Order: sequence, then structure tokens, then C-alpha cells
Amino acid sequence: MIENQLDEVKLSVPSKPEYVGVVRLTLSAIASRIGFDVEKIEDMKVAVAEACTNAIMHGCRCAKDSKFNIDFVSNGEKLTISVYDDGKGCELESIQDPNLNEPKEGGLGIFIIKSLMDQVDIESEEGKGMMIKMIKYLGDDI
Amino acid sequence: MSLQVKKSYNSENKYWYVELSGEVDVYTAGQLKDAFTNMIEDKKENIKINAQDLEYIDSTGLGILIGTLKRLKEKDKNIILTNIRSNVKKLLNITGLDKIFIIEE
Ligand SMILES: Nc1ncnc2c1ncn2[C@@H]1O[C@H](COP(=O)(O)OP(=O)(O)O)[C@@H](O)[C@H]1O
Ligand SMILES: [Mg+2]
Repeated sequence: MIENQLDEVKLSVPSKPEYVGVVRLTLSAIASRIGFDVEKIEDMKVAVAEACTNAIMHGCRCAKDSKFNIDFVSNGEKLTISVYDDGKGCELESIQDPNLNEPKEGGLGIFIIKSLMDQVDIESEEGKGMMIKMIKYLGDDI
Repeated sequence: MSLQVKKSYNSENKYWYVELSGEVDVYTAGQLKDAFTNMIEDKKENIKINAQDLEYIDSTGLGILIGTLKRLKEKDKNIILTNIRSNVKKLLNITGLDKIFIIEE
């Protein structure tokens, strides 16, 4: 195998709740193909599902055929997953970590993503959609 | 991608017993929410959840558990979780919810 070769899988997914499970299955298949262990796959399943759920619930659902995108890129040492939509976006400053002593029904998703993945970058601008890029390393936790 | 919710009321000890199996995500969450809403409207008593076959839950499902607990707390009732799988346990730890629900090993 050529070192650092980039393998890329791209999905365009309907913005519908019933497709989040399909994405989880796809992620599991890709991650186990790369050699991730069960625990890391479970972490990534939740993180990716949270990002998809946000794209569906907070991105734009106005158009009937609206979609969002997911790119999976692996280079042998890590898997990078980008979930992006061209919905209404949001102001990143408005997203705050939850107060764990006072649980609320919402606002846990991005916090969970940050906890489960090794590296997370979020880009958004109001009116310009949201992009969340997350990385998990194959080796021991860093 | 499905969720089964099996509920029964234990009238002797006054609690709901719920067996969850499958996955709780944005698609199946409505089903869970309806089940809890119906139970609470019927009897606001402790809810004991056997999570042995709960393979997956994310923030959508956790949000429903939190909302349900808030309604139960009005009558000082609780949610008790038993037989939780390690991946679900991890999420409860991360979010601090292991301190909000009663976790029985
Ligand atoms: N794809 C998205 N498009 C627009 N806003 C988003 C998106 N993802 C997240 N957000 C914003 O970030 C907030 C926090 O997201 P999250 O932590 O997942 O909590 P929740 O989804 O429960 O509100 C959301 O309430 C929303 O305002
Ligand atoms: Mg969310």
C-alpha cells in the first residue's frame, strides 16, 4: 500500500431523519475497513449522527429535496469526516457548552461531538450553512 | 434502524418497567417521546428502564429522557436505568447525566 494515500468517500444525503441511520451504517463500514476498533467506531457513529441531525434539524429543511453532504477521507492514520449543509447557518459564538449541573433537553450535540472526536473544527456564517469537520486517529488516543 | 419500546406497569410496587431495544436517534425519538408522554399522563410514577438491548442513543434520545425526568421530578419521581451497555454509559458519563438519572448495575 502506498503510504499516505488518500481514500475518499463522498455522500449526498436527503435532509430526512430516516437517513441518519444509513449514514451510521456507512460510517461503520468505512471505519472498520480502515481498521478502527469497536469503541472508536461507536464514538464516531454518535459524533457523525449528531452532525447529521443538526444539518437536518437546524440547516434548511424548506426545500422539499434539500440535501446535505458528508465526506469521509482516510490516509491510513486517521479518518476525517466533514458534514456540511447549505442551510441557514448560525453564529458560532451563540453555541455554548452545556451546564452539566443543570441538564436541558437540547444543546448537547456539539458538546458530545467535541468529547468523542480527537479534533473538531466548525465553520459557519449566518445564511451560509454550516460545516463541521472532525478527525479520529487510528492509533492510541492523543 | 428501529426501536422497540415494551412497557408495563408494576402496580404492586408502583413503577413503570420499560424495555428498550434497538436505536434511539432523530428518526425513532418521536416514538420514545410518545411512549413516555402516555405513561406519565396515565401514572406519574418512577420509570425503570432496562437498557440491555439499547444499542444506540444520541442527544435526541437523551433530551427526551431529560424532559421526561423533569416532568417526573414535579412529583419527586425518578428514572432508573439498568443494564446499560458501555457505549451508552460513556455518553451518560460525558454529559453528566449519570448523576441525574439513577443508574443501577
Ligand atoms: N447545521 C446547522 N445549521 C445551523 N445551526 C446549527 C447547525 N448545527 C448546530 N447549529 C446550532 O448550534 C446549536 C447547538 O447544536 P447542538 O449542540 O447539536 O444542540 P441542539 O441540536 O440540541 O440544539 C443549535 O441549537 C443550532 O442553533
Ligand atoms: Mg443537535
